[in-house]
This record gives sequence, C-alpha cells and structure tokens, in this order.
Amino acid sequence: MLDARVWVLWALTTLLTASSARNPLYAAVLLAVATVVGTVCAADRAQRVPLSPLRFAALAIPLSALFNGLTAHIGDTVILRLPDWLPLLGGPVTLEALAFGAINGLTLTVIFSGFAVFNQVTPVRDLIKLTPRAFHEAGVVLSIALTFIPQTTRSLKRIREAQAVRGHRVRGVRDWLPIFVPLLVSGLERSMALAEAMVARGYGAVADQEQPLCRQGLLALGLSALFGGWLAWLFLPSWRGIGLGAMIAGAGLIAVVVWLAGRGISHTTYRRRRWTARDTLVVLGCGLTLGVTLVPLPLVNRSTLYYSTYPSLTRPAFDPFVGLAMLGLLVPAAVNAEGQADSTRSIQSEAIGGADERLGQETEDG
Amino acid sequence: MSVRRVISGFIYALSGAIGVLAFIYPFFTPASSAAPLGLAHGQDAPLMTAALVGLSVVALLLELQGQTISAKTVAMLGVLVAITSVLRFIEVAVPMPGGFSPIFAPIILAGYVFGSRFGFLMGVFTLVTSALITGGVGPWLPYQMFTAGWAGLTAGWLSRIMHHVSRFTFNAPVAAYQAPGSQRRLTLDIVFLCLFGFAWGLLYGVIINVYFWPFAMGPSAQTWMPGVGLSETLSRYGVFYVATSLAWDVTRAVGNVALILLLGAPTLRALNRFRRRFYFEVSASA
Repeated sequence: MLDARVWVLWALTTLLTASSARNPLYAAVLLAVATVVGTVCAADRAQRVPLSPLRFAALAIPLSALFNGLTAHIGDTVILRLPDWLPLLGGPVTLEALAFGAINGLTLTVIFSGFAVFNQVTPVRDLIKLTPRAFHEAGVVLSIALTFIPQTTRSLKRIREAQAVRGHRVRGVRDWLPIFVPLLVSGLERSMALAEAMVARGYGAVADQEQPLCRQGLLALGLSALFGGWLAWLFLPSWRGIGLGAMIAGAGLIAVVVWLAGRGISHTTYRRRRWTARDTLVVLGCGLTLGVTLVPLPLVNRSTLYYSTYPSLTRPAFDPFVGLAMLGLLVPAAVNAEGQADSTRSIQSEAIGGADERLGQETEDG
Repeated sequence: MSVRRVISGFIYALSGAIGVLAFIYPFFTPASSAAPLGLAHGQDAPLMTAALVGLSVVALLLELQGQTISAKTVAMLGVLVAITSVLRFIEVAVPMPGGFSPIFAPIILAGYVFGSRFGFLMGVFTLVTSALITGGVGPWLPYQMFTAGWAGLTAGWLSRIMHHVSRFTFNAPVAAYQAPGSQRRLTLDIVFLCLFGFAWGLLYGVIINVYFWPFAMGPSAQTWMPGVGLSETLSRYGVFYVATSLAWDVTRAVGNVALILLLGAPTLRALNRFRRRFYFEVSASA
C-alpha cells in the first residue's frame, strides 16, 4: 500500500498534466493510465465516488460537445444552420466546434478519473493524518465529524422507524420536519456529552492558550506580502519580479507560522508507516511526467501538447517521448501488482509455516 | 481596542481580500498580462490562484484556531458538520433536481445563531467532511470551502444587522424566541433568512463559476479575454452564466428558500436553546 502523500502527488500530477495537454491523443493516454491504475489499485476498495468515471464521461463529453457546438459558431465544416433570431444559439453548427467541446469534456473526464482513483485508494484516516500539527483543532473537528457520521446515520434510521410506527410517511420535503428536528436535537445532546467528556480529559487546558502576538504579527505580515505581491504581479508588469519575490516571502512566512504553531503540539502515532522503495518509484514516475510536460527539454516537442480544432479539423500531432513520459503515472499500478504478488507469496509461506507448526505440535502431542 | 484585535481584523480583511481577488481578478486584468492566444487561460494563472486561495484559507484557519476554541464549540461543530454531511450524502445517493443541495440551509442557520466565526468554520468543515465521505476531493474543493465559509460568515453578519433592526423596530429579545413578542422577531428572521438563502443559492454558483471561467474555452462572446475592459468582461461573463448556470443555480436558490421556510423556525428555536445551554456563564455574586 502506498503512502497517502504519494497519492496526493500522483493526483496533482494527473491534474497538471491533463490541464496542460489539450490534445485528445494525450488525453486518451492519460485516461487509459487512470483506468488501469484504478482497476489495479482500487479493485478491492469499496466504492467511495459519487459517479463512476465511465458514467461521467458518458455525460460530460456529449454535453460539452453539444453546448460548444450550439454556442460557438466557428469552423469551416458546417453541419447545419440554426435561425439567427435564436439568442446565443442562432448561427452555423460546425464539426470543429463539436470536436472542440468533446475534447474539453475528455479533459474534464481525465481530471475526474484521476481524483476518483485518489478518492478510492486513500483511506479517510490517512488523509486526516496528513493534517499538519498546527491544525490540531481542525483535525479534532474533522475526526469528531467523521466519527459521528455513522452514529448520525443510525439515528436517522431509528427516528424514521419510530415515526413510521406512528403512521408518519415521507412524501415530500414538508414530511422531513418530524425527522430532522429530533435528529438535530439528539445530535446536539450528544455533542454536549462529548464536550463534557473532553473537558474531563483535559482538552480545554491546551485549547485555551491563545497564540502569541508575534506569531499573529508574522501571519499578518505574510498575508500582506502575499496580497501586495499578487497585486504587483497582476497589474504592474514592470514589477512582476518584485511581486513574485514578495509572494514567495509571504508564503514562506505563513509556512513559518504553521511550523511555529505546530511545534508545541505532540503528535503520536500508534503504528508509523515506513517510506518504501515503491513510494520512491512512484515519486520518480510522477517527476518524469511533470518534467517532460512542464519543462522545455531537447528532443521533446512540447508544442504537440496543444491542439486546436479551428478553423478546420486536422489530425492531432503526437510526440512518442511525451506519450511515454505520461506512462510514468502507471508506476502505482506496476508496484501495486508487484506488492500483491509479494503479499500473496508471504501469505502462502505463512500458511505453510503455520500448517507445519500445527502439524509438528500435533505430532509432539500425539 | 487591543492590538491583538486590530491584527486579527487585519488578517480577516486580508484573507477576504485575497479570496475576493482570486475570484474577480479576471475582470480587471490588463491586456499586457495576456498569454499567447489559445494559451491565455492556461499556464501559470490557475496554479498561482489555487495556491493563493489555499494559503489564505490556511492563514484564516490559523487565526481562527489561535483564538480560544472551547471543547463545547469543537464538539458542537463536529456534530453539526456530521449532520450536514449526512444530508450531503443523501443528496449524492438520491439525485436532487438541478443544483439543489440541502447543505446550505444548515450552514446559514448555524452561522446566523452562533456567529460569523462559527459559520465560516461550519461551511469549511462541512465541505471537507462531505468531500471525504462522498469522494469529492479535487481541485475544486478549496474554492467550495472558501465560498461555503463565506456563506456562513455573512450569515453571522446578517444576525448582527437583524439584532440592531429588531431593537429599533419592536424591541424583541434575541433569546430563544420564547419571550412575549418574539414570534414577530422569528417571522422577520425567517423572511430575511429566506432572502439571504436565495441570494447565496445564486451567489455560490456565480462565485464558483468565476474561478474556472478564465480557463474555460468556448465561444468568443462568452470566454475571458484579458484587457477587454470591465464592462465587456462583465457582459461576457453574464452571457456565459445565463447560458450555462442560471437554471441550475435557481434550483439551488429555491431549494434553500423551501428548506428555510419548512425547517427554519424549529431549527432556529433548537439552536438558540442549545446556544444558551452551551455558553452560559456563572458570574460571581457581589
């Protein structure tokens, strides 16, 4: 199983690469990669995404093509012409506009698929563990919320059953009132009991400490640098360098405040996860993809990343180096398959060892 | 006013300003900062904007955490977020019409009763938690958190305004709507909350759209182009919004009004009752 930070990097790399490459051939490669990684790495995970990537593609690609086709009246190949008196829609519907919309839908599908894989393979507890120490209270609130969700769902079911016994039926929004109010009141009663238990265990002793004035001042200074730098970057072209410097300094100051705020909070872990060679391999794979996609390199034709269907439809260009670099995102599937083979071997050897031990004991007993 | 409060106000203002600028800068970008055509929407801007929005959320959370957060606030926030997240889960499991979502009414009502800070945190944590349980983590999440946080934050401001308004109009107490004459106050609150919920139903869509609009490609009359001027940019965005989102957002706005009308009064009564139980203080007798 890979480190949650590695999965964050993988999802961000997919996002950046998909956003940078507006070429349907590269988008298809990325979609295939995300599908393979999802199939291999999330095969045994419970579904935790609201919509499957396939269903998303079935909705996003045709809708995006239709919307762009009906509203963008550009392109040489006219399929049909809508009456000019129709607001927004009036004008020629072109093949190029439909194709352009479909490519946008495909890019959205790639981004959605990448994050669908991320959501499936990373357990919620691992994501909460990524919360920096400085956000101790935020982590506590999140943990309470996630812990209470199953309880709230059970309460909701109990209240619905109790109201059903009294003859109450849910037919419309109005019928939710006798269910929602008891749910809210019982939840608030539980929060009261929880707060008392937290205070009894000394929670307030830590939470009542206000942050030092100098830390607050540093935060204000960091935000000022960030805001001022961004304004200069956006509106004063000759000050762009200074603006960028100020933004970096501001981000650095905020990072220092995060570090200072987290320094006093001890973080205990029951079972620490070790960084493995598999994690390093995935990081290298993401680095390869990002390097080729974002950095100008000799032998790599980065202009193939951008493709436009206008004014007339042409065949998109494809650079094999860029396509191969995108396969760097496949590393999680490769290392996961290897890991599964290892774990199967170890389970088999443990089972054989255990059977030998039991056999030995039985022989001794006998 | 203490130095600490002045700095705190400054941090709130700056975080808000960065958030607002992240959403509105496309309307003011001069032509000189335009990238080559076709890539104008592409390269550094989205990453930088996302990073800046993320940093301002981080700064605001640090400031909010730096102030005293009692165990009662933490526990109540956690439980209310859990209840609202379950509502979001129902929304995902049973598709609702258009952009209707049952999470906004609870965020607005909680911000209205417990104040701006609680409302902001409720908005932010509800979006994070519901994204975690429904698999909705993605690049859109920081913007959704910020916008839902603003809805809760401004609900707290509305509460303050209503407090002053009611003092001048019919001198009704804020408490648990139990004192004589407080029924009129409750009715007035519900009317204003309905208007507020309707406005946020539309505003949420308007704001969330702005974050990706400069990077979306499409018809020239609807896409962003640096340097065309404020009125032209507003007009293009207006066309884009009407064509793509208005119908969707009206469903959300009407849904908010329906939920506040149906559940608002008993929810406000319950939350006010618990607010008095949670935050009572025993003062030493003279």
